[in-house]
Amino acid sequence: MIESTKRRLARRLTIARTRPRETVELIAFRLLYGAVLAAMIAPLLIIVGTSFNHDATLTFPPDQFSLVWYQEFLTDSRWMRAFANSLLIASATTVLSLVLGTTAAYGIQGVDSRITQVLLPVVLLPLLIPPVVIGIVLVIYMSMLGLFQTYVSIVIAHTLWAAPLVFFVMQAVLSRFDWQLRDAALDLGGTPLEAFRHAALPQIKSGIAAAGLIAFIISLQEFIMALFLSSYATQTVPVLAWSALRQFIDPIISVVSTILMLSIFVVLVPIVLLFSFDWVARQL
Amino acid sequence: MNGIADIAHSIQAAIDQRGRTSLLLLAPILLFKTIFFVIPFFILVRMSLHETDQSGAYNPGVTLDSYVDILSSSFIHGIMAYTFRTAIVVTIVTLLVSIPYAHAAWRADGMTKNVLLLTVVVSLLTTLVVKMYAWVVLLSPIGVVSQAVNRFTGADQVQLLNNEFAVVVGIVYMVAPYAILAIYSVLVSIDEDLIDAALDLGASRPRAFYEVVLPNAVPGIAVATVLAFTWSIGAYAAPVLLGSSSERTFAVQVEEYVISQFNWPHGAALSVIIVVIVFVSLLAFFAFIGRRDVGGEMF
Repeated sequence: MIESTKRRLARRLTIARTRPRETVELIAFRLLYGAVLAAMIAPLLIIVGTSFNHDATLTFPPDQFSLVWYQEFLTDSRWMRAFANSLLIASATTVLSLVLGTTAAYGIQGVDSRITQVLLPVVLLPLLIPPVVIGIVLVIYMSMLGLFQTYVSIVIAHTLWAAPLVFFVMQAVLSRFDWQLRDAALDLGGTPLEAFRHAALPQIKSGIAAAGLIAFIISLQEFIMALFLSSYATQTVPVLAWSALRQFIDPIISVVSTILMLSIFVVLVPIVLLFSFDWVARQL
Repeated sequence: MNGIADIAHSIQAAIDQRGRTSLLLLAPILLFKTIFFVIPFFILVRMSLHETDQSGAYNPGVTLDSYVDILSSSFIHGIMAYTFRTAIVVTIVTLLVSIPYAHAAWRADGMTKNVLLLTVVVSLLTTLVVKMYAWVVLLSPIGVVSQAVNRFTGADQVQLLNNEFAVVVGIVYMVAPYAILAIYSVLVSIDEDLIDAALDLGASRPRAFYEVVLPNAVPGIAVATVLAFTWSIGAYAAPVLLGSSSERTFAVQVEEYVISQFNWPHGAALSVIIVVIVFVSLLAFFAFIGRRDVGGEMF
């Protein structure tokens, strides 16, 4: 690894000295991905900036720094209720997805790998169906079950999305796990449940935490299915932001956006500390 | 396709290997998916065959009227053409921005790599509402981008919002993080020494990229293409918020049928048509890729 880095550096130096065309190409490439990087992050940073505006316009940079819209947000009962709804739905989704995803990932370990090959497309299929279609399907179905516009219906919709993700994360975690320990526990006369609790659980705790956090954030940020399935009383923060946005735009939406983005960091930091960043990027 | 035989064989092998209990652990998720995903889709198909009703959501009965209405309506044909055109433009733009970015993230190390990856992950996890709102703010007449364009071109007022341009920007902004990670996750499995070898043998950087990286990245690029295309077909938030009434996609029309007009059979029929179109496009794409003899690596 270090050797190849050294070689690359050495080559870069020679290139810079001897081949101007290469240098131009390198600069062009840097400009290209730099532009993409800027286009990806700048809009979000500008939104954070506008949340500190003093007046009701969305000028950037703000004319006058102020926290007045944060105060506005914290004293608005509609936003507070949406916030409570979001936390409730995300927590329930996390628990349900962890149970479904982890049991499946645990059950599939060590099994003939062909079953995963068949299962993978089946589990991934829902990701290719437009969320609006899934939303409509569930509107019709939940109405028939009498669950339309309840918390339950939104938790179920979010779990359809989050459980497969938990499954994949847990599968990756479990594939690094030492199965002989569990087999030893079984050989020593433990029940499968005891083997799981005493031999497997301590090893995969951090993996479960990471998967749970990912499920939580997925539910917190999901918007289209929640838009169709919620009522005024059960709407989540993104849904309320959407309806507010379509009526009237003011900096309070920037405040809400900033808080939603902040929640991503709150969740990401422990995961990145537990695992490497590269690992997280490859799981999603 | 011998999928079912494969599953049966695998299950048998698994039972022989580990006993019955561990596969039972798969039951909860399969049951959940069946009850809340598979069955609802059958109900959707059934709903699309009901008669429409002016006063309620639907009338019981079996008819193909909804399909006939939708497929013969020139209004829907317009939506179809618009949705497809947008999806193709979005897919091309997404690939053009994602491939260099994923490549940069793969070849970079240390801080640069972390910044590049962190940006993608944060963007991916940010709710769609915030992402679309950001572009409303940026592209609005008083927004940063409009101001910059005005100053640069000397034009008085450039209309950047509520048009096709804004819709494409919005959808690319939604899909790009997923496309980048799909390509990135394939790139990391390529042996970097291969590129060093190509460079040592005198290839230029673009040539090394074209001959070594690109062929190996095909599975990732294929996944990115599929995601970009299918998600723009189903795009809802971007056309509603960033487009005008003439930027209407399938998804917007489905919502119109089901929520605004309370016409469930039409909404269900259009949903079924969208799903069919998505899967026919996928099959056609994989057939095309498969003919180039690389599709085997996909799944």
